[in-house]
Amino acid sequence: MDLSILFGWVFLVPLLPALAFVIIGVLGERLGRFEHGGWIAVLLSGAAMVLGVLIAIGEMLNPNTYTDVSYTWFHVGASGPFANGVSFVVGTLVDPISALMLIVVTVVGFLVMLYSVGYMHHDEGLPRYYALLSLFLTAMLGVVLSDNLLEFFLFWELVGVCSYFLIGFYWRKPSASSAAKEAFLVTRIGDVMFLLGIFIYFSVYAMTGPNGGWAANGFLFVHGSASFIPIGAPGNSTLLTVAGLMLLGGAAGKSAQFPLDVWLPDAMEGPTTVSALIHAATMVAAGVYLLVVGSIFLGGYTSIVLFAIVAVGGFTTFYAATMAVVNTDIKRVIAYSTISQLGYMVLAVGAGFAMVGLYQLFTHAFFKALLFLAAGAIIHTIVTQDLFRMGGLAKKMRYTSIAFLIGALALSGIPPFAGFWSKDDVLASVYSQLGAHPEYWPFFILAFVTVFLTAYYIFRVYFLAFSGQRTRDASLPEAHEVPWVMLVPMMVLAGFAVVAGLFAFVPSFAALFTGVPGLATNVPPAYGPTDLLLSAISVTLAGAGILLAWGLWGNGRVYELRASSPVHSIRNLLLARYHVKAAYDWVGMVGMYTVARAADFFDRFVIDGAVKGFERSFRSMSDGMRRIQTGLVSDYATYVVAGVIAVFVLLLFVAPYLASLFGGG
Amino acid sequence: MTTLAITGFLALSFALFAIAIFGILTRRNFILLLVSLEIGMNAAILNFVYFAALAPVNAGSTNGLPGQSIAVVLIGFAATEIAVGLAIVLALNRSKGSINVADSTTLRN
Amino acid sequence: MSPEELAFLALALIAIVTGTLALLVRELIHTIVWIGVFFVDLAALYFLLLAPFLGVLQLGVYAGAVTILLLFGIMVTRKRIFSREAATGITAVPVALAVVAFIFLLVALPEFPQGELTVRSFDPSLLSQNLFGPGGPWLLLLGLVMLSALIGAIYLVREGRE
Repeated sequence: MDLSILFGWVFLVPLLPALAFVIIGVLGERLGRFEHGGWIAVLLSGAAMVLGVLIAIGEMLNPNTYTDVSYTWFHVGASGPFANGVSFVVGTLVDPISALMLIVVTVVGFLVMLYSVGYMHHDEGLPRYYALLSLFLTAMLGVVLSDNLLEFFLFWELVGVCSYFLIGFYWRKPSASSAAKEAFLVTRIGDVMFLLGIFIYFSVYAMTGPNGGWAANGFLFVHGSASFIPIGAPGNSTLLTVAGLMLLGGAAGKSAQFPLDVWLPDAMEGPTTVSALIHAATMVAAGVYLLVVGSIFLGGYTSIVLFAIVAVGGFTTFYAATMAVVNTDIKRVIAYSTISQLGYMVLAVGAGFAMVGLYQLFTHAFFKALLFLAAGAIIHTIVTQDLFRMGGLAKKMRYTSIAFLIGALALSGIPPFAGFWSKDDVLASVYSQLGAHPEYWPFFILAFVTVFLTAYYIFRVYFLAFSGQRTRDASLPEAHEVPWVMLVPMMVLAGFAVVAGLFAFVPSFAALFTGVPGLATNVPPAYGPTDLLLSAISVTLAGAGILLAWGLWGNGRVYELRASSPVHSIRNLLLARYHVKAAYDWVGMVGMYTVARAADFFDRFVIDGAVKGFERSFRSMSDGMRRIQTGLVSDYATYVVAGVIAVFVLLLFVAPYLASLFGGG
Repeated sequence: MTTLAITGFLALSFALFAIAIFGILTRRNFILLLVSLEIGMNAAILNFVYFAALAPVNAGSTNGLPGQSIAVVLIGFAATEIAVGLAIVLALNRSKGSINVADSTTLRN
Repeated sequence: MSPEELAFLALALIAIVTGTLALLVRELIHTIVWIGVFFVDLAALYFLLLAPFLGVLQLGVYAGAVTILLLFGIMVTRKRIFSREAATGITAVPVALAVVAFIFLLVALPEFPQGELTVRSFDPSLLSQNLFGPGGPWLLLLGLVMLSALIGAIYLVREGRE
């Protein structure tokens, strides 16, 4: 079966949701009969999924890099080191890693779109929702399929904009609109760093690389086809370090890694479907994807950058997990979990195993979307996100509870669910680097401890929500199972959560990981006895976490925490998110106030001063002039005489002097 | 025929002119202003007479005549000027009730 | 020192003193007296310069008509003829300007034509020939201008009367 004929049509994959965006955007409420455009979005994203999955299968069968430069965006004439000029192109690229992402984005995108038909049914402004979600899919697919960094960045920004709009979907809620702004601004910090990184890469490779640094088709950042100078080359390592750190900043912003993680929990203000698609499966994974792309296609990272990536990833993993332990909002717990899991991916990339990170991304997308959709089902039926008001839902929502349980098991890393394989690979790959890099130890330990925390917090959620006899808050609406449009996506995702990890054992699927050129160091290390021991320990830890959760929260138990207990203060610290957000606020306030004061001072004393100074000088001039205009004849006579004298002085003394000065007669 | 150095004459007319300037600038009474003007005018007329006399003398020459002629015309001018000035004095006196220039600082009534 | 020079010095001194006094005295009538003396003094100067026709004109027009006109102006505008002017302080700027002008003129003295005045007399008939001969039409034009000025003056005086 040769599916490579489809590679030329890959541009249709992002264009189909774009078409949905246009149709829904233009027709709007006139699509009321089609679930306000929902069915159109489902249909077109389904078509995109079919095409995308077929292309991914084609890539599996014949792993290679297919670029299709369809359009020259602009051309810069020959100058400096660019003997042939530089063409900036817009094109598509299919290679193993983008095929992998293609599966994730189109499948999760389609399923979430389908789920939305049920979940969003009662909401207002649905055309806006479906249009923006379709636009998001387009942008995300654009990120995945871009064949150069510039195009990548454009779609990256578009993704951010869609995220902003969708977080603020319930814009009447002040918290939602402020969360949207927060998400936009925090990721913007990362975006600016990313852009700087692009510039630096651009200049480094443009100035010093072979062939003027440019690939044959004129643009550097085409996947796989650019020739790169080795990292060790003199003179570039500093710049490349800076560029790598900038790239890490961009990824940290998008993937909510410490210290740019504050926006993701707040982004839960958006609809749960948005959280599932954008803030769990795809957009936040784009940061990791960027790191992977940078690791493979931008010539790798310097050791400093690698350590920074490991540090950020390892620390974030633990840091976010601790906050998930105490949170009472079901969506926020899962959001912290997302940050934590993204930390694993980053950690793997930092350890030098980009494809392991991508593997974790792949499995995580399914089970995390599943968890969100299951949580969405709960929220849909009992209209609360507060875990301590839930309880006993397993009886009422059998399928949802099973779906959530599968997702939780996958997240905890219990074999044979998806999370186990990928997380184990992450831990093993970091472990394999510990000999060469003892400085990775603390982060390895943090990541290891997080396995326990992960199992604990997600099963805490599970037991709080589903175990027990009835809801803790009797005033909640009666729970009921959700309609099939919501169940089917959960079922499919649950299936993926079970088997996605096993995909790696399918040779043609594994080819996606090994088929990337120059990827030898990025594949998971071979398993030895130590790795089996590691797996055993991590599974034991996860099991211990589940047991602890059961012991503490099983059967609908409720606790009263005494305010004096140390647990209470720790809990408060975690609920306050280590005061990081408050610190940001404080820094922002102080910074803004300082800047504002400076600006105020500048405005008041320099600009206003200049204006007023002009005004005052003119006024005093006019005052002086007016004072001269007395109307007294004698005064005018005085001026006349003075003027005449002045004229004579000029004529008789000054003019001859000047003439002598300039050599005139 | 007597000869005199012109320097002293010029100094005289300069001094008179300075006195006239002083008067014009300081005096507030319109009549005193007119007096100052006349002093200045006379200083100027004097100059014409000096320079008429300075012209070289040849037999039957009329050199210097124009200077004296202009002096004659200027004296006539001065008379006219005084007449006009006096008319202004009267008009001022009628409209302002005073001939102090400090009282008439506007061009309107 | 020749008698002419002595006479000139005396006349010049009188001219300066009377001119200054005319402006400085606070009794307007005294001003008229001093300016009358000043005009007569200048007439004497003309005689000294052997311009008797001008001297006579000076006496007639200035010492006579102008002085009387000024006196007339005082009489018309004053209820009491002998009333003292309000003291006008000798303010710095005008004095300075006058002094500067004077010094300036003195400094500029070398710029003027220099030489000895050759004093001689002209026959008044020559003067009239010169006046009305070549420049006749222009003189008439000047006379017309002065006449219009006088008519304007009369109009100015008449205007407010109705």
